[in-house]
Amino acid sequence: MTRTRKPGISRRSTLALMGAGAMTFSAPWVARAQAKTIKIGMPTILSGRVAQLGTSSRNAVMLEVEKVNAAGGLAGRQIEMVIRDSKGQPQEAARIARELVNTDGCEMLLDGEASSGSFAVHEVARDLGVLCIHTCSEASSLTADPKQHIPNAFRCVRQGIHDSIVGASYAAGIAKAKGLKKWATCSPDYAYGRDTTGEFVLYLKKFAPDVEIISESWPKLFQPDYTEVVTKILQAKPQAMYSCLWGGDLTSYIDQANIYALFTQMEVFAVNMADYTALTVVKNLPKGIHSGDRYIKTFPPTPENAAWGDAYKAKYNEYPTNWSWQNATAVMFLNEAVKKAGSTDGKKVAEALTGLTIKCPFGADGTVTMRADDHTLVGYAIGWGTTIPQEPYVPDVKAGDWKTIFELEAEWKKSKGYT
Amino acid sequence: MTELQAGQGAQPLEVARIDARPQRHRDLLIALIAFVVLALLPVLFGSKQLLDFVIRCAAYGLFATSLNLLVGYTGLISFGHGMFFGLGAYSFGLMMQKTGVPIPVAFFATLAMTFVVAVVIGAICVRLKEIYFAFVTLAFQMLIHSTILSWQSLTGGDQGLRGGIPRPPFLGIDLSNHLHLYVASCALLVIGLFLMRQIAQSPFGYTLRMIRDNATRASFIGIDVWRAKLAIFVLAALFAATGGMIMALFVSGAYPEFAYWTMSGEGIFINMLGGVTTFLGPMVGTMLFLILNDTVTRVTEYHGIVLGIVILFFAIGLRKGLMDFVVEWFAQRRSEERG
Repeated sequence: MTRTRKPGISRRSTLALMGAGAMTFSAPWVARAQAKTIKIGMPTILSGRVAQLGTSSRNAVMLEVEKVNAAGGLAGRQIEMVIRDSKGQPQEAARIARELVNTDGCEMLLDGEASSGSFAVHEVARDLGVLCIHTCSEASSLTADPKQHIPNAFRCVRQGIHDSIVGASYAAGIAKAKGLKKWATCSPDYAYGRDTTGEFVLYLKKFAPDVEIISESWPKLFQPDYTEVVTKILQAKPQAMYSCLWGGDLTSYIDQANIYALFTQMEVFAVNMADYTALTVVKNLPKGIHSGDRYIKTFPPTPENAAWGDAYKAKYNEYPTNWSWQNATAVMFLNEAVKKAGSTDGKKVAEALTGLTIKCPFGADGTVTMRADDHTLVGYAIGWGTTIPQEPYVPDVKAGDWKTIFELEAEWKKSKGYT
Repeated sequence: MTELQAGQGAQPLEVARIDARPQRHRDLLIALIAFVVLALLPVLFGSKQLLDFVIRCAAYGLFATSLNLLVGYTGLISFGHGMFFGLGAYSFGLMMQKTGVPIPVAFFATLAMTFVVAVVIGAICVRLKEIYFAFVTLAFQMLIHSTILSWQSLTGGDQGLRGGIPRPPFLGIDLSNHLHLYVASCALLVIGLFLMRQIAQSPFGYTLRMIRDNATRASFIGIDVWRAKLAIFVLAALFAATGGMIMALFVSGAYPEFAYWTMSGEGIFINMLGGVTTFLGPMVGTMLFLILNDTVTRVTEYHGIVLGIVILFFAIGLRKGLMDFVVEWFAQRRSEERG
């Protein structure tokens, strides 16, 4: 019997394909053989609605890593960053974090995930025991809750509770001076929005007891149309409004509320306004919105901070975000911790990081600290100011008082049953 | 899609009923071999990535194959199947965190809970047909997703179940050991696939195909269409919940994304990749989907474009899933050889 060659895939090439498939899985494992470079893995969000979180985090990390590498690396080892997109899905964040450590041979993780993703990466760090610094998740419970605590994970991020304490004490001052008693709130309907607003109101009433909340709105996250919310607030006729809307939601809200001249009818406190991503996108930025500092190169008003903001702008042709300074600070912490430990061993670096204070352009007094008891960042520049429609956008930021923050944070932790 | 199924779904009907028992033995043999091969993989390859891949294949594979019981076998295009994946993950995770019962108890209790929820939701949904069915399942999915988001005190809202899922060892199995988790996931996958295969090949399975092809005729010969649809809806939900539990163990948590519509979307996508006319189509689709996902996201953050092109290729180019294509290609090749 003669057999002619049939078109399509032959048995031999099928086998070759299968072999190639097997190689794909086993090859990275072989490559793990220790190199002189040190790999640091970073799962983050590089696509979708909040892609800017990942891209601006990546930019800042690369900016700092280049500096560290130019100065000789971490304990003589050049840093190689392996940055992957989780699409904001926690199961992908977990998979990528595992893959980075198990297959790509990353010895440390910078976790650039937000919200649920950061908790998923936290579990991977717990499971694998790898050194992990969270750089984007602002959820207070990630470090405040003792159930979450593991010796090898740290958080180099601002926190909702700190923002609320500083914001409320600033707002209470203005409320008293201007007699603002009737307040409205308008925040996104998810854990961050509810928690942060609740804490802000709690402390506002503490500092200014005669304040009354007369209207609450909870638009959905990523809601495109705010007409209903804006008119509801206008009908309630409050004297002031608080909002922790952020990013695209905040800018859409402002653009739509501008049509109803909302900003001329009440004082507006929007904690997430003073971030270049929001400031530069709003069509007509109203004058006089009160905002917390996210990242602004004029606060802290130091030459180091301004120089850092300009260097970032020069390199990437856009201003840094809040996520940028946090990620940059994480790399600075790693660098100093490795120097202190004299080694890149994860355990030793973790020990060195605990309670470490470093010089940093984003510190309230030129330094920031990785607090020892809950492994979280404190002492960063935090303050509130009012907007103007052009650069520098928030010319005068009033710094918050870290002593008050620590006192009230300790009380808050107790009330939550965390201590 | 319905036309495609109607045309091709007629084929398996030629299988004679007498063949059922030897076929079951053959299936069992294949299942055993598959399990042994999977269990030996960690010995042959040291790659932990491979283990993670197979665990995820088990979670997604059970989810996608159970969806195919609805889409391919019964003609019920569910857009809300992800809710049971999420429900499985959450109720298992919560039970382990809050009650500390042994893992098998939590496993069966989760199945029981899914059963109840699926009966209630299914009883409403399966009365509807086609697009109405699809949209009502989608609506229920969003209802469950919103409940997870807003019931913060229980579920942790958008931050998910935090603090890890405790895994006390049982019967010498310690699921906090990654290798044990791997073997357990493989076992659940193989058992799940075997059971679904038996459902698909049973008289009940053929009833479903008949309902898909002509529901009116089915009811005229005395089949309670509503009851049959409800039964398969609930069964599929149970397997999806099992997939959810594997995923919860893999990530050591449960997140609202598991119950979001994108999860159901991925299920449909997998079915389109693998094909809905063969039993193993969704499983092949799962592997293809995960390999694509893992490799493309490594290379580029514009993976959406790549995956979009791939799905266009399957939908417009091949006009069927990969397994459908392969099966047809083999059949054609064989008939050519004969001829």
